[in-house]
Parts: sequence; structure tokens; C-alpha cells
Amino acid sequence: MSQPPSIKAMVQAVPRSLGSYGPVLNEIEEALKSTQCNLSTIGDAIQKDPDLTARLLRLANSPFFGFASRLSTVAEAVSLLGIQQIQDMIVASSVLEQFKGVPDQFVNKDSFWRHSLAVGIAARLIAMERRLPKPDKFFVAGLLHDVGRLVLLSQAAEWAQAVFALYGRERILLRDAEKQVLGYDHQQIAAELLQSWSYPPVLVQAVAFHHSPNQSVAKLETSVVHVADHLIVAMGIGSSGELLIPPLDEKAWNIVGLDIEVLSKMVEAIDEQVLAVEEAFLKKEG
Amino acid sequence: MIRIKSEALQPGMVVARDVKNIDGMLLAPSGCQLSERQIGILQAWGITEVEVEAGEEMAKAHDPLAQLPPETLARITAELRARFWKPDEFGPVPAEIFKLMLTRQARRILNRPS
Repeated sequence: MSQPPSIKAMVQAVPRSLGSYGPVLNEIEEALKSTQCNLSTIGDAIQKDPDLTARLLRLANSPFFGFASRLSTVAEAVSLLGIQQIQDMIVASSVLEQFKGVPDQFVNKDSFWRHSLAVGIAARLIAMERRLPKPDKFFVAGLLHDVGRLVLLSQAAEWAQAVFALYGRERILLRDAEKQVLGYDHQQIAAELLQSWSYPPVLVQAVAFHHSPNQSVAKLETSVVHVADHLIVAMGIGSSGELLIPPLDEKAWNIVGLDIEVLSKMVEAIDEQVLAVEEAFLKKEG
Repeated sequence: MIRIKSEALQPGMVVARDVKNIDGMLLAPSGCQLSERQIGILQAWGITEVEVEAGEEMAKAHDPLAQLPPETLARITAELRARFWKPDEFGPVPAEIFKLMLTRQARRILNRPS
């Protein structure tokens, strides 16, 4: 084989569509620009997609949010969850949805989804435990942390094959196999992708350095994603291709400042929420 | 020390770690022996779990690792070690995480319908 593709070339080849949620997202964006916008306009936009409506309501009534009473309308869900949060969640899930045509040869996509979802959930729970602002931003960062691997699988299949061939031969971490074969790893690919899509710099940092949080300029956010990823790989919830449990960066652990005593409760909460959110998000209607 | 659900608390149990409400108000200090009334207060505050001191027998009854057949425990320990990166170099935090994952696995095996 010749030279591995440049990160830029790979990222530029990724089509930027918002998948099946595109029309709804455009409508929400339009509505938000208008001075006439109110919660029911947003609710109406979402309700045009019955599948999304059902998922949103299931999610809103799941232990992920833990509201005491049952929410039965989209307008209620929008007012309690917030527009920003709903928009973030739809965008983030549509990013992953976009890669659904990627072959399952090296990484099973359902498993990849579970892993991504679980890291998002864990990152959000850690942020909530530490009372950090906007815990839902952490959900998005966790959900997208390994998206670079999907870009590689979809844009450079033969290079992905070379990476996994090396990974199968030697007991090394998958990202080190990527570095040896390509000269870069999935973190750099994701960074380029999210940057080109004008994602917020903190999110780009948190994804770009989730394996080496000390190099990030957003150390706290990146460390949260790092710890969440470590926990989820250790718990064995889905997989993004890595079968080993990469080392925990103790500096990052200290920056996150989680009490080791709360960890067992958190692991239980993660198990519970992953189950609930999977029901809401992954199960097809009917 | 074991963690038990508030519904299962019994008068006479000794609190092993301060119980605080969501605002950080101390409801029951570590070392205090619970009375019926105090248990009612904890439940009224919505406390779901409390850590209490436990004798050897009680601790064993609550530890999933102690309930597994030794060969099963040896097997899942080896399987988990094989997945971790350099388990011989574990510091205190990774060691604690390892134990947590092992306990989770043990609980799953024990809860599996046979």
C-alpha cells in the first residue's frame, strides 16, 4: 500500500448531512431564529417526526432524567428538558447515525453505539456528581469521543484493515496500532472532523485528547471524558473496537476529583441508565 | 462496612459513614447506633442507602465475591486481569476500580436465573 490518507482528505470526504433528523433540526433552527418562537413551535417541529417524538418521550420518562411525574406531551418534554439539550441530543445522535452504512467487519456498529452512548451517560453522571455546569455537554462529548474511528472505517477501509491486522497480531492498544500504521490515531481524526463542523472548542479538545487528557487545554472536561471512557471499557458495555482496557490516567482522575467511595453507586447508576436510554434510543418503533 | 437499603435498616445498627441530606445537613453521624425514630427520619429524607458496620457473617452475606464458588471467582478474576492493561502496575485507584468491576461481574453471575 502507498501512503496513508491525510486526515484532512478523509474528513473532507465525510458528507455533512444530518441524517433522518435533518428536517426537524432545520425547522428547530429556523424557529429559534424567529422572534415568534415559543415552546409550542419547537414542540410542533418535533412532532412532525413520530419516531423522534416517541423516542423523546420515552427518554424523558426514563431514569436518565428522573422526573417524578409522567410527561405525556412533547411540549412538556421540551419545557422541562430545554431546547438546547434536545437539540444537542438530536444532533449528536444524527452524527453517529450518519455512519450506519459502515461495514461491521472490524467493529460491530450496535456495539459501537452502546459504547458511545454509555460513555456519554457516564460523563454526564460524573459531571452531575461533581456539580459541573451543563452536564449535557458532557453527554455529547462522551457520545462523540470515538467518532474518528467511524471516519477511518468509512473513508479508508483498507487502512482500517491494516490497523486491525496489526492489532490482531500483537498485544497492543488499538490506538497504538493506529499510530503505527497511519502515523495518527482516531482522536486526531475526530478533532479534525468536529473542528471542520465548527463544534465548540472545548468539545473538540475533550474528544481530541480523551486518551491523553494532560495535553488538552480543557483539562477538566477532557478528564471527565477520559474517566468515563475508562469506566465503560472496564464495565465492558459495547466496544468501539478496543478489547483491552487502556490505562487510567491518575492525573486526570485527580482533576475529576471523584470520591472513590461514590464509584460503586455510580457504576450501578450507569448500568441502570444505559438500559433505559437504550430502550428509548435504539429500539425501533413497532 | 456494608451498604444497605434504608428499608432494611434495623434499630441497633451502627452507622459507618456520616449520612447527610442533599444539602449536606448531617442526619446521622458515623458511629451512632440507630434507633427506630432515626431510621424513620432517614427514610423521610429520602435516603436510599446507608453504610453500616457489619460483623464478619453479615459482611460475608453482603459480599458477592464471598458467595461465588472459588473456581468461578478465580475464573472471572483471570478473565478481567487479561483485559486490563498492565494490572501488575496498578496504583490504589485502578486496584479499587478492578475490585469494583469484579464485584459487578460476581453480582451479575449470582443474579442470573439458573
